[in-house]
Amino acid sequence: MSKRQLAMVMDLNKCIGCQTCTVACKTQWTNRNGREYMYWNNVETYPGTGYPKNWMELGGGFDAAGDLQPGVIPNLEADYGVPWDYNYESLMTDSADHNRFQPHISPTWGPNWDEDQGAGAFPQDNYFFYLPRICNHCTNPGCLSACPRDAIFKREQDGVVLVDLDRCQGYRYCIAGCPYKKIYFNPKISKSEKCILCFPRIEQGLPPACAQQCVGRIRFVGFLDDLDSQVHKLVNVYKVAIGLRPDYGTQPNVYYVPPTESPAKFDAEGKIIEGSTRLPIEELEKLFGKEVHGAIKTLKAEMKKRKETGVSELMDILIAYQHADMFRLDNHYYQEVAKEQNRTPLAPVDTRYIAGKFTKAGGHH
Amino acid sequence: MNKILTSLLSLGLACSAALAADAAITAVKVTDSLKAIKADSAVWSKAKFSSVTLYPQTAIEMNDKKANALCENAKAKKAQVAALYDGKSIALMVKWADGTKDLQTGATSTEYSDGFAVQFAGATAKPQPLPYIGMGSVGRPVVVHLQKATEKVYEPNGNKDVSIQVNRQQTDVFGKELAAFDAKVAALAVTDYERVFVGEGFRSLTEIKDGSMKAESAMIYGTSGWIGTLSRPLKDDYVNLSGTVPVSIAVWDGSKMGRNGLKNLSAWIAINLDGQKQNAALIADLTTDSKGNAAKGKEAAESNGCSGCHQMTSADSKSFMAPSLKNVGGYSTASYLRESIVKPSAAIVPGYNRNAHSNTPWYNIEKGKRISTMTDYSHLDKNTLDDIVAYLETLKAEVE
Repeated sequence: MSKRQLAMVMDLNKCIGCQTCTVACKTQWTNRNGREYMYWNNVETYPGTGYPKNWMELGGGFDAAGDLQPGVIPNLEADYGVPWDYNYESLMTDSADHNRFQPHISPTWGPNWDEDQGAGAFPQDNYFFYLPRICNHCTNPGCLSACPRDAIFKREQDGVVLVDLDRCQGYRYCIAGCPYKKIYFNPKISKSEKCILCFPRIEQGLPPACAQQCVGRIRFVGFLDDLDSQVHKLVNVYKVAIGLRPDYGTQPNVYYVPPTESPAKFDAEGKIIEGSTRLPIEELEKLFGKEVHGAIKTLKAEMKKRKETGVSELMDILIAYQHADMFRLDNHYYQEVAKEQNRTPLAPVDTRYIAGKFTKAGGHH
Repeated sequence: MNKILTSLLSLGLACSAALAADAAITAVKVTDSLKAIKADSAVWSKAKFSSVTLYPQTAIEMNDKKANALCENAKAKKAQVAALYDGKSIALMVKWADGTKDLQTGATSTEYSDGFAVQFAGATAKPQPLPYIGMGSVGRPVVVHLQKATEKVYEPNGNKDVSIQVNRQQTDVFGKELAAFDAKVAALAVTDYERVFVGEGFRSLTEIKDGSMKAESAMIYGTSGWIGTLSRPLKDDYVNLSGTVPVSIAVWDGSKMGRNGLKNLSAWIAINLDGQKQNAALIADLTTDSKGNAAKGKEAAESNGCSGCHQMTSADSKSFMAPSLKNVGGYSTASYLRESIVKPSAAIVPGYNRNAHSNTPWYNIEKGKRISTMTDYSHLDKNTLDDIVAYLETLKAEVE
């Protein structure tokens, strides 16, 4: 366990599956150098196969006794999907009739292959929601525990889980050990790579690119021990944000506000079944454990309170008025860490997000 | 008839079980410089090949479900090993059968390449006891030369040519300029995967990257098998080789998803530099089996409860508590086995990441030192110890 833990909360009631986070991450980190197939951030449709294909069935994580479970390493072509491109160049140079716009391979699988399919029968009770996923920067990481080279470490100052590429020898046990399959093999350099929680950004007081760019403003970022951070309030005070698949035993640090709002079902005549909800509670229980019931109860109660009285701190937080409130990166803290480690502290680039627990002057606004 | 067959079979098994450790290899002294030796160099005609048995490494089982299934009950392999030396360098050739040529192509997430490694004991004031066979032990370092079979792997080449490390589709050039881009990328391609590590037990391996290692290894695929060659200085910052040189050989099979511990490795074997004064004690250590009675040793192992923590044979259930011993007789010397029984903390197999099986730690750290969780069996009398060691020496897979 690290000294402090940076965490992210994602509000699933608000995710519209636009993939802006995915693109923000891809253009920042994974569009080159053997990472082309990787999505450190992806948004999948639930229920669905997810990314990589059927990741929930591929093992890893810990059993109740605390033993790391064996897992399966997904195949690039079959389970992740080859990133294909099109024959732009030959379209420019070859005017023959047979030359048509076409992908450079015949794709058989890719991320979001089953986007928006969901489950249930249309129009009676079909349903789905979007599940954005990044590395969970777990408190008890499966990847770290699986590595026979001690090449994966968890930073003391913020709990970010990183791969030491000098030590990594490309054995890929980390991929088998991660139950979320959020660590990837870079075949070009024969080493594992993963979401770094945009640490070069957070050290400068900026939120991760995925959170910054989110148009639905569903992502909150902050330290769990920062009593003023909205992340702390959502996770520890209101307890409406829960880790994904807590049964994997890795203690994830990305938390989700479960989707509570879904339309009612229709009966055979196409009439609304009053009081029904399309999203089966069992599915939410599978994803978030028993705690999901309490979270839903609180969310419903606060929503009602807001409607009746106009006042609810929780609803105000979830409306996500200000980036400055949603992201508390506490840049001053990183400046102190840099000084302790005899590194040159990086100058803050964007002063909007620097206010935090360890910031003495200014305060957030 | 059946009776004869059975007795013949059991005789065969008994023979293979009682088979002595591999004999010492003679390194022939040559006048040609070995610095730039290749697999097809003529000087190899002077070499004397010896047979070395490589046993499946089963001390720990990692968490790759498919690989574990492929390597379940893996068999031992034979390799032919020869050595030459020229006064400055030593060269080794390792030949082993492998029906599939598996290369690291840089194309996908689930390919594993064939490879081989040669392990030397690091230079220490006291050469014996030798380092633990699994990549050394604390205070007893090893130097490991690793070579993987590769194909040209383009971008990125590790030389920080960032501008060239993009996909051709992501460039803004077409036509002739694109062809020029492709040529430039091809010229920068990495073609070799050769690494040298220093280790004090697995998980501690650290690559030598400061240019202080002058070694050259290569692999070529012949008829249904590999020929690996290595040439390195007799003396450098890491080793000081003379007289009798202990080495260990490992090979990986990519078709069995081999990498890391999923390999076949030899015990420490002795290479005698021809014409130099040999270390008789070391040779005896590496080539002599325990004089004990294996049958009695089996009983003693049972009555002392070894299998409470160790998997002794494939029939025993797997345990996270301690190293599996089902091939320990293949890659361990009698002196190592004896030491591990009477002084369990002398060479601790670091085993799993402690977080992977936190309820069954192999060691505890006391005052910065690793203390084995195994009970000290130094109270056993000499004969019982000899018997148990003799029994442990029989624990090894058959040769395929």
